This record gives sequence, structure tokens and C-alpha cells, in this order.
Amino acid sequence: MKKLALLVAVIALVAFAAAPSARAADTIKIGAAFALSGSIAVYGEGFKKCIDLAVEEINAKGGIKGKKIEIVYEDNKSNPKDCVTAVRKLITVDKVPVIFGPAGSSNFMATAPVAQENKVVLISAQGAAVGLTKAGDYIFRVFPSDTLQGPHLAKLAMSKGYKKVPVMYVNNDWGLGLKNAFVDAYKKMGGTVTDIIAYDEKKTDYRTELLRASKGNPPAIVNLTYINEGAVQFKQAFEMGIKTQWLCGSAARAPKMVELAGKAAEGVIGTYPSVPQNTKAYQAFKEAYKKKYGDDKIPIFGDYNYDMVYVTARAIEKGGYTADGIRKALPQAAKGYKGVTGDKTFDNERSPKFAEYGIWVVKDGKIEDYKK
Amino acid sequence: MDSISYYLQTVLNGILAGCIYALFAMGLTLIYGVLNFVNFAHGELIMWGAYFLFLFMGEPFGLPLYAAILPALALTGCLGLAMDYSVFRPIRRANRLTLLIAAMGLSVFLRNAAQFFWGAEVRTYGLEVTAGMRFFGLTITAPQLAIIAVTLLCVAAVYLLFFKSRLGKSMRALSDNLDLARISGIDTKRAILAAWVISAVLAAVGGILLALDTNLSPEMGVINLIKAFAATLIGGVGNLWGALLGGMLIGLAENLGVLFISPGYKDAVAFVIMVIILLARPYVIIGERSD
Repeated sequence: MKKLALLVAVIALVAFAAAPSARAADTIKIGAAFALSGSIAVYGEGFKKCIDLAVEEINAKGGIKGKKIEIVYEDNKSNPKDCVTAVRKLITVDKVPVIFGPAGSSNFMATAPVAQENKVVLISAQGAAVGLTKAGDYIFRVFPSDTLQGPHLAKLAMSKGYKKVPVMYVNNDWGLGLKNAFVDAYKKMGGTVTDIIAYDEKKTDYRTELLRASKGNPPAIVNLTYINEGAVQFKQAFEMGIKTQWLCGSAARAPKMVELAGKAAEGVIGTYPSVPQNTKAYQAFKEAYKKKYGDDKIPIFGDYNYDMVYVTARAIEKGGYTADGIRKALPQAAKGYKGVTGDKTFDNERSPKFAEYGIWVVKDGKIEDYKK
Repeated sequence: MDSISYYLQTVLNGILAGCIYALFAMGLTLIYGVLNFVNFAHGELIMWGAYFLFLFMGEPFGLPLYAAILPALALTGCLGLAMDYSVFRPIRRANRLTLLIAAMGLSVFLRNAAQFFWGAEVRTYGLEVTAGMRFFGLTITAPQLAIIAVTLLCVAAVYLLFFKSRLGKSMRALSDNLDLARISGIDTKRAILAAWVISAVLAAVGGILLALDTNLSPEMGVINLIKAFAATLIGGVGNLWGALLGGMLIGLAENLGVLFISPGYKDAVAFVIMVIILLARPYVIIGERSD
């Protein structure tokens, strides 16, 4: 029913947007081209929950200068083509000055030039790919770039004594970017990459890729994978009797992955941009999330989405409700702002300047912080 | 792992993938043979079959796996009939393009319907993951043994049905020439209904096996349909044994290919072979059918 209600809401919204009434000015509209269907809708639903939570909180406190925020969700169907359609629709029909961009670096990077050309601010809360914001000065992200993660992963491998590893990665902008960042750093530290295996997303059968990666029984395999792909791969590797230490990136770190893979995911470790969860801000966020949704499993990257809403709201308050105003105000609005995910100050490439990386491990069916 | 078993394991992986493709392709090619159009909603039968099992295993039914399979297959058969009754029957005599577009629309509708009921997230049947059994350096799991055994069973059943029963004979007649079959007094309606049920059940069997071996997701049908379509093309559309061989060929080729080239091109291997075969000699594997 919720989806039906959403559909009705979207139709009503379009009808209102089309009518030249004074109503439209009553709210501050922000576009969100999210994956509500398709392969990564697993993520999209979680982001939406956290966005809605932040919007509800801001509106409860009086909104932005008395105006309520309203998010215009547009389904991006999890593929680059429909992402572009969704962003174009938000720009031309809803005429929003700022859009929360699609998840999945390839999806986001497909839409970035469109936003840049139309001079509309586009923000990512989970894009880690190295060149994500290169399309221009209207493109921002509140999630740290993999330029920072690659060396951390290489350091992890070396510190555990793995001097030779094969590397598997999901063949898209995110996987490729992190693979390159990892391989560069790892080689500099004296490591040897024995094989590089790219694989496609959304497959159900990775047995032969796994077989090739496990040739020669390497003690560790680096696998830069996603939730579903990772779950399938760990399950199949377990069934095939491959015994190795899996080293992953941030995108596989999700309770859903462990739920799907069961005990096959036991012992998998990886790096991730760590968000210190013992801070007051994080606890408050977790509490609010639990109150609204009844469970305290924060969706992957949900905290970054939550921060994105606050940073954007601050920028709109400072710079006004225009794309140029928001673009110019964003760096000031974020400078020194301590969100749930830490200091949100931007660097010169409109990416977070600071990021801490932690190590995650799957232990007893749960994702925990790795302790040496 | 020594290198012979390394290659043998790859061949086994190829056969496993091939079995699944073959089950999908046989259903697809059957409908093509009888009704002369490519049912692009066939992928959704695959997916719904797998989800029906999920439905019967979960609340409020809570059936164990073995008991849930039959009702799931039956329901998928009904879904196949419902597809025909509501969408394809009214446009039986329309041209192929109309049928193709109707099938695509139906596919989108059914996929979104599944997402509406079960959500977009990936699910499993919640069975325990177990390490595979080892024979001569090869690893195989229980679901994988089931894939091979069930595929063999299905092939045998399809063979008996098509070549040893009157119903099968009437379907083959229909497939050769619809009008001629009708004039000769064959109950074409009954044969068409039977074709839908068989096609849907084959899809459900494959879908369930695939989901047992991997996961369930609303996208699982579409992704595999493309391979199944390639398999039917290789085998000669409308040709059951061709579909079986085509599925196997694609499964083997894409898995063996991974050993030599980047797995990023796994899909390309299958399609390159398809293109080469089509260019060199259409329907080279089996048969003279050339519709």
C-alpha cells in the first residue's frame, strides 16, 4: 500500500507542479533520484528511510526559515539510463535546484554531466568512485573517495602478512577505481598481485571466477564486491571448499550480505569509512531511527544520507533556495559541521576532506569492528 | 588443486549453468514452436515459480521444502494459463510484433508485481549453507546434484510427452502448421493450453533450482532469459533438443572462456558464439527448421 500511496503522491505532485499556483512556493523541494526498483533497490529503500527521518526532524523544528522540506522521489530503476531520465525529469518538470543523486558510482556518474550542464546541484551520499565529482563544480559528495580507501585496504593486507594476492572486483566505476587505488598502494608497499579478475554485477553464478581466483590456493583473496554479489560468491566459495581469507571493500559491509550468505560469510574482513558510533550524534540518530522504524539496524550508508539532508538544509538556509546559492553555500555550510558521520568539510574536489577507515569482520553472523 | 581437476571443475560448472539455461530455453522454444512468438515474459515465470516456493515455505503456510514444491509448480502452471487467457489469447492472430510487445509489457508488469508483494531485496529460502561433497578433486553440492538430476528427469519427461503421447503429437503438429493441424481435427486449444502449462512448469523448475543454488530476486528471470533466448537461437527456435544443446553449449562456453580471458567478458563469450553460429550456418546444431 505504501508504494501505491507514493504513486498517488507523485501523481498529485506532478499535477501541482504543472499548475502555476502559489502552492509550489510553500515548500522547499529537493529531488531524489533513488533506486526504488531494480537490482539495487535493496540500498534505495534504506536510504529513503534515513532521508525521510532527517526531513521529518527538520520540519518538526520549523523547516528552513519556516518552510517545510519536501523530497521529490523519482525511481531511477538502478540503471544508468533511467537514472538520467529521473534526473532530467526532476530538473525540467519539478524544477528543483538540488538533487540527491543515485547510488552506484556508474549510475551517479551518468547523471553528473546532466546536472552540471543544467546548473543544478547534485549530491551523492554513497559514491566512493575515484573520479565521481569530476563532472564539475555543481557535483558534491558527502561520502569519502576511494582514493583514501585503497591504501587502507593495502595496509590491511600487508599487516596480516599477505604479500601475494589475487584481486577480484565488480566491473564498474566503483570497483575499477578502488581496484586501481588498491593495486597502486599495494605494489608500492612491496606486494604482488597474482591475478586480476573483473566480473559483472547481478550474476547468480560466479563459480568459475572463484575457481580462477583460488588457483594455487592463495591464503587471501581481495574481493571488491557488493551485497548480493558478495553473498552469492561467499556461499559458492564455501560450497566449493575454497578456504581463504577474504579481504573486501566497504560496499559488502551490510547485515543483508551476512543474512544472505549465512555462515559462508564468517570471517570475511574488509575496510570501510568508519563512523565512530559512540558519539552523541550517532546514538541520537540511532535512537531516532529505532523510534520511527522499530529496528536499530541502520541501513548501509543510511547515516551518510541523513547527514546529506542536514548539510543541504544548512546550505539552503545560508545561500538561499537557488542552485547557485546552494552550490556556493555548501562548502561553508559543511565546513566544520559535525554530522553523524563526522566532520563534513569538503576538499577541493567537493569530497569529504576527512575520513577515518575502520576494519570490519563477520563474526558469529554479525558485522563487527575487527580487533587485532 | 591440480590442473586437470581445475579444468574438470570448470566443465562441471558449465554443465550446471547449462542445465539451468536449458530448462529455461526448452520452455521458451516450446511456446515459440506452438504459437510462433518469443515470449519475453518467460523470465517472469522463472521468477514467479521461485517466489511461489518462497510463498509456500513462509508464513502462513510454513510447508517444508519438499511439500512446497508441488503447489508452487501448480501455481506457476496456472500463472502460465492466466497469461495466455488474459493477454495472448485475445491477440492470437495478431502479428509477431504485437505479440512481442505484449509479452514485454507483461514481463514488466509481472516483475513489478513481484516486487510489490515481496519487495526488491534479495532473499533466500533460508536453507543452511553446506560445504560441497568432493569426488576426485571435484566439488558438488546437494542442490547442484539436484540440478543435474532434475534436468535429466525433465528432459526424459518432455521426451516421453512429445514423442510417445497423443498430446505431444498434437503439439508437434501444431508447431508444424497451425491451420493444417486445426483442419485435421486436432484439438488445438487443448494443445496450446498444455504447451503453456509445460512451459511454465519447466520455467518454475529451473527457477526453483536456480534460487536453491543462489538467491531469489525479482530480476532473476530477466537476467537469465537473455541466455535462454541465445540458447534457443543457437539450437534453432522451436526445436526442443536444440534448446537443450544450446543451453549446455552456452553454459560450457562462458565458463571455459573465463579461464582464458577476463571474466568481465563472460557474457560476451556466449553472444560471440551465438553470432558466429548464426553467421556461419543458422540452426547448425540440429534441425532443418528455418522459421
